[in-house]
Amino acid sequence: MSYGEHSDQDLARLCLKGDERAARELVERFQRPVYSLVYRMVRDRELAEDLTQEVFVRTFNNLQRYDRSYKFSSWLFKIAYNLTVDHLRKKQVKTISMHGSPDAVTAERQEATSLALESGEERPDAVVEARELAGYLEEAIGELRPEYRTAILLRHVEGRAYEEISDIMGVPLGTVKTYIFRARRELRDLLEDLRDEE
Amino acid sequence: MSKKEPHQDHLRQEELDTIALGGGSQLPARSSAHAADCERCRREAEELRRLHVALLALAPLQPMAGFADRVMRRVSLPLPWRVRVLEAVRAHWVATAAVFAGLAAAVGVGATWTARYPELTPVTVAAFLVERSTSLLWGAVMEIGRLVYGTGVVSTAQGLAEQVTLLTAFLAVATVTVVGLGALRIMLTLMNTSPGSRPATRG
Repeated sequence: MSYGEHSDQDLARLCLKGDERAARELVERFQRPVYSLVYRMVRDRELAEDLTQEVFVRTFNNLQRYDRSYKFSSWLFKIAYNLTVDHLRKKQVKTISMHGSPDAVTAERQEATSLALESGEERPDAVVEARELAGYLEEAIGELRPEYRTAILLRHVEGRAYEEISDIMGVPLGTVKTYIFRARRELRDLLEDLRDEE
Repeated sequence: MSKKEPHQDHLRQEELDTIALGGGSQLPARSSAHAADCERCRREAEELRRLHVALLALAPLQPMAGFADRVMRRVSLPLPWRVRVLEAVRAHWVATAAVFAGLAAAVGVGATWTARYPELTPVTVAAFLVERSTSLLWGAVMEIGRLVYGTGVVSTAQGLAEQVTLLTAFLAVATVTVVGLGALRIMLTLMNTSPGSRPATRG
């Protein structure tokens, strides 16, 4: 059985026995979703990468505390959420623009921190259109409160259930529903405002 | 009692959410019927679906190349038990050598004794010592019982001497086993933590 076929829980168990390939498989499996969430919280590529690295390091170093009755990904996202929120609280970062970190003071720094959109093989006009919509959305998501942002990204981008989001964020189920409801309403309003401004 | 309007109970947020995320078939029949009938709920579900599709289509973000290598350089995984044992032996080689020397000496003495006094092997000596100490202990307990409770109770207890001895022996063995396993677990836990982990650097 190759490592790619193992469940997350099995890989975590193998990591506890010192299996490096299992750890690497977990990193490769979750680096994109964790990085995406963290990036959309902090809007700085370098910072997001540092924080994502820290998430995995903490995860592996505390693996003995992982309760295997929970989904591994929920535990990982919980660590990612707590770490990022702690960072935001400490730094009081106002994360808005998709054109780079608000801390970026030079053009190079803005370029280094700006959002990298992956382009596929679509028609140029479709790419432009998709980029435009993605741009609006990214900007609108950046305007949301961190907890709204996390809740809506976990629900719609990561496809997590309400109960799981409640576990990850450490808030009651009702609060998660409120966050998601308000986030959607604000997103709709923000998207309309952003389109009107264009 | 007033009769409800057909569209009075619009779908709840979670129900709209279920439809928007493509799980409409999981809704209860009443909600499905309402969704089919109510223009407002259909419009809301459709708006939500569009938002969901747009969010789902957000550009997938990727950390820079070599991310996994950078993480693995910083991660400390527990070492496999064989390596932990070898490292523990290497770190405490004097103590390990002393334990092995002690064991070898015990085996040597036992073997010599057995060769010299074949009728008095270490096993028979141990059995004799256990029997003597048990009967001494039992005698002391009976004596105390006689002083405290009188002869009648003690006579009855003496009839049960064999069973009590067996039970005591069983409890003693069980206690030693539990304590031994507990010690082993603590030892393994200690080996599993700080000294037994190292950064995972292999590529």
